[in-house]
Amino acid sequence: MSTMTEERLQGSSRAALRAEKKAITVGVAGNPNSGKSTIINAIAGTRLHVGNWPGVTVEKKSAIFEYGGRKIRIVDLPGTYSLSPYTQEEIIARDYLIHEKPDVILNVVDATNLERNLYLTVQVMELGIPTVVALNIYDEAEKRGHTINRRVMEDMLGVKVIPTVATKKIGLDDLLKSLLEVAENPSAHCPKHLNYGDDIESAAKMLETQIGLTPLAEKYPPRWLAFKLMEGDSQVSGEIKPDDSGLSVSKAVGHLKTAHDSDIESIMADARYAQAFGLTREVLQKTESGNIELTERIDRIVLNRVLGIPIFLAAMWFVFKLTFDVSKPFADWMSAMTAGPFKGWAEAILGLIRAPGWTVSLVTDGVMAGVGSVLVFVPVIFAMMFFITFLEGSGYMARAAFVMDRAMHTIGLHGKSFIPMLLGFGCNVPAIYATRTLENPKDKALTALLVPLMSCGARLPVYVVFIGAFFSAHAGTVLWSLYVMGIVLAIIVGICFKKTLFKGEAPMFIMELPPYRRPSFKSLMIHTWEKGKHFLIKAGTYILAVSILIWFLLNLPWGVENKKDSYLGKVGQIIAPVLEPIGFGNWEAASSLISGVIAKEIVVGTMGEIYVAKPEDEKKNPSTFSEDLKEVGTSFVHAAEDSAANVFSTVGISSLSSKEDEKRAGLKAVIQKTYTPLSAYAFVAFVLLYMPCVVVAIAMRQEFGTWKWFGIAFVYQMTLAWGVAFLIYHGGKLLGIGG
Amino acid sequence: MLPLGLLVSGEQAEIMEIKGCKGAHSLDLEKERPGDEQGRIEDMGIRVGKSVQMLNNGGRGPLLLKVDESRIAMGRGMAMKIMVRRKG
Repeated sequence: MSTMTEERLQGSSRAALRAEKKAITVGVAGNPNSGKSTIINAIAGTRLHVGNWPGVTVEKKSAIFEYGGRKIRIVDLPGTYSLSPYTQEEIIARDYLIHEKPDVILNVVDATNLERNLYLTVQVMELGIPTVVALNIYDEAEKRGHTINRRVMEDMLGVKVIPTVATKKIGLDDLLKSLLEVAENPSAHCPKHLNYGDDIESAAKMLETQIGLTPLAEKYPPRWLAFKLMEGDSQVSGEIKPDDSGLSVSKAVGHLKTAHDSDIESIMADARYAQAFGLTREVLQKTESGNIELTERIDRIVLNRVLGIPIFLAAMWFVFKLTFDVSKPFADWMSAMTAGPFKGWAEAILGLIRAPGWTVSLVTDGVMAGVGSVLVFVPVIFAMMFFITFLEGSGYMARAAFVMDRAMHTIGLHGKSFIPMLLGFGCNVPAIYATRTLENPKDKALTALLVPLMSCGARLPVYVVFIGAFFSAHAGTVLWSLYVMGIVLAIIVGICFKKTLFKGEAPMFIMELPPYRRPSFKSLMIHTWEKGKHFLIKAGTYILAVSILIWFLLNLPWGVENKKDSYLGKVGQIIAPVLEPIGFGNWEAASSLISGVIAKEIVVGTMGEIYVAKPEDEKKNPSTFSEDLKEVGTSFVHAAEDSAANVFSTVGISSLSSKEDEKRAGLKAVIQKTYTPLSAYAFVAFVLLYMPCVVVAIAMRQEFGTWKWFGIAFVYQMTLAWGVAFLIYHGGKLLGIGG
Repeated sequence: MLPLGLLVSGEQAEIMEIKGCKGAHSLDLEKERPGDEQGRIEDMGIRVGKSVQMLNNGGRGPLLLKVDESRIAMGRGMAMKIMVRRKG
């Protein structure tokens, strides 16, 4: 059925056609923490698709499934308290409802907190779209001695009201049935017009009549539009320009204004709230139970003035530890596999088809190494996403923000920003993704800009080589100084950004602390997978492309013998003079730093390639395919065992025990000849601070939908790195240290 | 009447007045208009006439309120702009 003919069909025949052919679209609206997601997860399960709303980074969840022989498309709207245009979430939710016009709105209401949730319901009803109300968390409400008279509620609202307990899958069948019923017969389930009082109603009536004469009546629900125009809603007025459409808004609200001596927006808000209040009073009966809720009891400890921060730090330490301890063995396994058997197989296959030498190198050193560097991130990303999802789902994340809020204010951030920063010490990439827990775009951007200053695990191999070569007597202290340098600079840079780029008052801090809940394993898995998948696909392709590019740079022009003559070497020679003033103006350092953009640990690898002549291909006995396969399996089992063991051991793994292979020892010897202790320290400081790796860049691009923030990070970090290295090198020289 | 921010943990009060919280927002990322803050807190159920209970007020940093059945964490600056009357 083409859209052309469909458009021609009008009225009932169109509805009938839709009933037959089209999926029923259900938009799910509700307060944050009303259990919207739980309902959708329970209904849609693995069919859930998580994406972003166009142009913004707010998550959009949707699913298509069949029920009762009908296709249903369910779309989760961002959780909002209202449909006013105050926040990004509210604008998204209401734009969807107005412009996409779902067939049915499913309004999820937290039954334990009726009045505030009904405030949104009242606004949803203004849209005149057939609606079903789910009274969710009904069991909890009953437990607290609340009884809700759902028949009265249905009468007053004119829509179906279904009690549900999404966590226990109670009432979901009724809910789906009602959705179908409403979709079949929409006119019978249009919400009632709630009476906002004579003054408002007569003004609205006047505007509605005017709107009815314009084409706007087709595009907008007339009653809703009349209300919004009366309120002077900036977004709506901008969209339709009431004066151009011949609507006399000021005339309509004139009486209202003089009669109430207040701005219309507050009058309307009060009228709506009065409805929510009235409804609640009619339908809700409370028997006070003197019990203090569990949530409150936990909060007394967790948010305690003295205990709060230690508890938070301990919780973070566990998350951090678990993330990296659980994932490290798998990451090692992945990198061993790609460097070992997988590479071997690729070589064997290419050998079979007699591929020329350069293709073998491209595939193994370029493509497979690239894939390898992506795969190495997979375990850590998934582990991190799992724990973040857990913290969010349980309700603790909001407490963490509360506890850390004051300390983070010094650099113009909220408590919530602390979590991404901390994660950054493990790996900057998941840390960037973790910034999505910050609702405010400003906080998010500033946090993401500071995250790369947290010294991630990938920088460690570089430190290890240089510290091993020059400072082995004080290895611990020197290493510690680098981490501290990152933190101190983050504070300084944070304050600077706050004074320039993010000028203005710290954004208002207001957030609801949800009750503690035990997240279901299923929803944990779904969310972890959805978040991780995103990384795999997007980041994977970019990293691969850059790895291949670097490979070409290192191996072109064809048959280049000396790496100095490769393109990468030549670029290195061009850049070297820039690095001269900071102590390592040689092409080897420059080229290694360039290759480090893929991942900073690659700096060491490239240095190995450049400085140390390739060891003659050790003639190890080629292993057979089945041996390899066995190796893959057994080492995975070992990885799983190690991972499990790490969970229970507090000592954990020591990441510093890098394998001292011969190549690396050779590299150290060369470095000792080329660098002085001072220039070596300048170099590691440079590695700490210079541009974030490609994966971080991709993550920033993905989270913000623009390259702008990465651009800023790139510029400030390059400047900072150069400046700090310069200070170290020349400051040190002046003081006569290690020059 | 006293500002909400001065209630001690455990105290109950009724909201009498919410003063406009006009904040300057310079960044394009932030589409908030001045005065929106008041609208936002009202949307969260903090309105004139409501009873609130102070759950956690450490004297510094954010504080935690109970309004109806929800726990709301709020910055101190804003809490000083909400006037309340203590309840017995």
